[in-house]
Amino acid sequence: MSKRYGRKPVLERVSLTVAPGEVYALAGPNGSGKTTLIRLVTGLAFPTEGRAILLGEDVHKNPAARRHLGAVVEAPAAFYPYLTGRENLHLQAYLAGVREEGRIGEVLARLKLLAVADQKVGSYSLGQRQRLGLAAAILHRPKVLILDEPTSGLDPEGVELVHGLLKELSQEGVAVLLSTHHLQEVSQYAHKVGILGGGRLLDEVALSGREVYRLEAHPLEGALALLKTLPQVAQARLQGGAILFEGNPEAALKALLAEGYRVKALHAERFDLRSYYQERVKHA
Amino acid sequence: MLRLFFFELYKLFRLRSVALGLVFAFLLPFLWALAPGLKEVYGLVLASGWQVVSLSLLAGMEFLFPFLVVMAASESLGSEVAQGTLKTLLLRPLPRSLLLLSKLLAVLLYPFVLLAASFLGSLLAGLPHGFGPFFGGTGLGEGGFAGTGLLTPGEALGELLRAHLLAGAVLVPLAALALLYGTLFLSTTASALAAVATLLLMRLLVAFPALTPFLLTTYLDLHLRPQAAGLGLSLLLIYTLGFAFLAALLFERKDL
Repeated sequence: MSKRYGRKPVLERVSLTVAPGEVYALAGPNGSGKTTLIRLVTGLAFPTEGRAILLGEDVHKNPAARRHLGAVVEAPAAFYPYLTGRENLHLQAYLAGVREEGRIGEVLARLKLLAVADQKVGSYSLGQRQRLGLAAAILHRPKVLILDEPTSGLDPEGVELVHGLLKELSQEGVAVLLSTHHLQEVSQYAHKVGILGGGRLLDEVALSGREVYRLEAHPLEGALALLKTLPQVAQARLQGGAILFEGNPEAALKALLAEGYRVKALHAERFDLRSYYQERVKHA
Repeated sequence: MLRLFFFELYKLFRLRSVALGLVFAFLLPFLWALAPGLKEVYGLVLASGWQVVSLSLLAGMEFLFPFLVVMAASESLGSEVAQGTLKTLLLRPLPRSLLLLSKLLAVLLYPFVLLAASFLGSLLAGLPHGFGPFFGGTGLGEGGFAGTGLLTPGEALGELLRAHLLAGAVLVPLAALALLYGTLFLSTTASALAAVATLLLMRLLVAFPALTPFLLTTYLDLHLRPQAAGLGLSLLLIYTLGFAFLAALLFERKDL
């Protein structure tokens, strides 16, 4: 999809797919287009080019496609302040066609909101409103969940609660697309991270089953150039006086030694999403 | 659909502009009933409680009621945008046109509720003057407030009910116009201002005599000219439908 406001492009040819059971995190600096992308895929805004397909249905042509969608597009989530949390959820349940008795109590309990459920939303804290937003989003058991900054304004306990819930939902087969600045926390359970910058999708990083190796060799630049030519090596880059790469470490070591490089260290390392993101955005 | 309409109605009557409007419409007649300078300013001596009712209608329709209706219609959408709940509603599998239609029906009902509040307040404020037969007029029929002789309570009530219904019909397209601007600007202030500015500009078009019979503003005093109701009501309906259609068209592709 692309989106322009007048002549100003906000998003340019961004294309991504989120599979059932997958958590896709959108990262990017402020103004990179994350919120615009979320508004486009939820059908709130219209793309200048392209389509948003939700389980096979175009979300802009067929509003009924949103029956599978649960979303929170604002932080904190917006509700009628003069209604209680429970009343707001009753309204949402009616609009979403939820007839199941007890479901409202269930989601309120899941988001730890039962104690304030009968208070007016106007008196809620930001964190409580945010959690109520998530409760409303999962009320009708959506197959797709789209969240803009779901942990914004939450205390550490709330953050943990939300991450736990998202992980659980993805394990149940829900496709989750979320935007976030909290890469370290999200990298614990996200399957893929899309890095947006200047309205473009700069990179897509698959996190699941990803093994990264740290190599210290001399001369470093030459070793990096060599690794980049090897078909068994992917994503080789410099970081803090060493090379981080993915792929086959044995093939890499063999090639380096054959070319006369001095290898000081080579070991597996946990993929550092935050450093990767910072580097990727810096070089964009 | 019905439930959505009732919910829109509920939300409308929670709006501050609507609550204030109803209070003003209810209290304004008491001002007229107690005003000591009516004779000096308007040359009018209240002879009956029915005249308090008509005086309130005439005064209100000058500016206050159209303004209150425009404000309410503008706020019905603008407040949802401001508090973010419009997005929450549109995230549900609900056609945008259905949501707008529910809002439209609610704001179209408001002028009649506003006029009913004014009518009720006027009846209470007019009690000290009595509601029996009197020599004079309601100001809405033949002979104005001086009337043409004895006016029975039934005749007075008939004239007043007809005038209030016509006034309600006059206010309906104004509500639709404000909602149209609401969908365009997604802001209470901007849409109310645009609607009022449009009406003021339309009034200036009287300088084009060929256009005058078709202007919305030509019929803003329809409650005083029931003989023009045939063409007037048809045009008011056309304006209302036109504004509503344009609003639906705009809202359907509006970025939020």
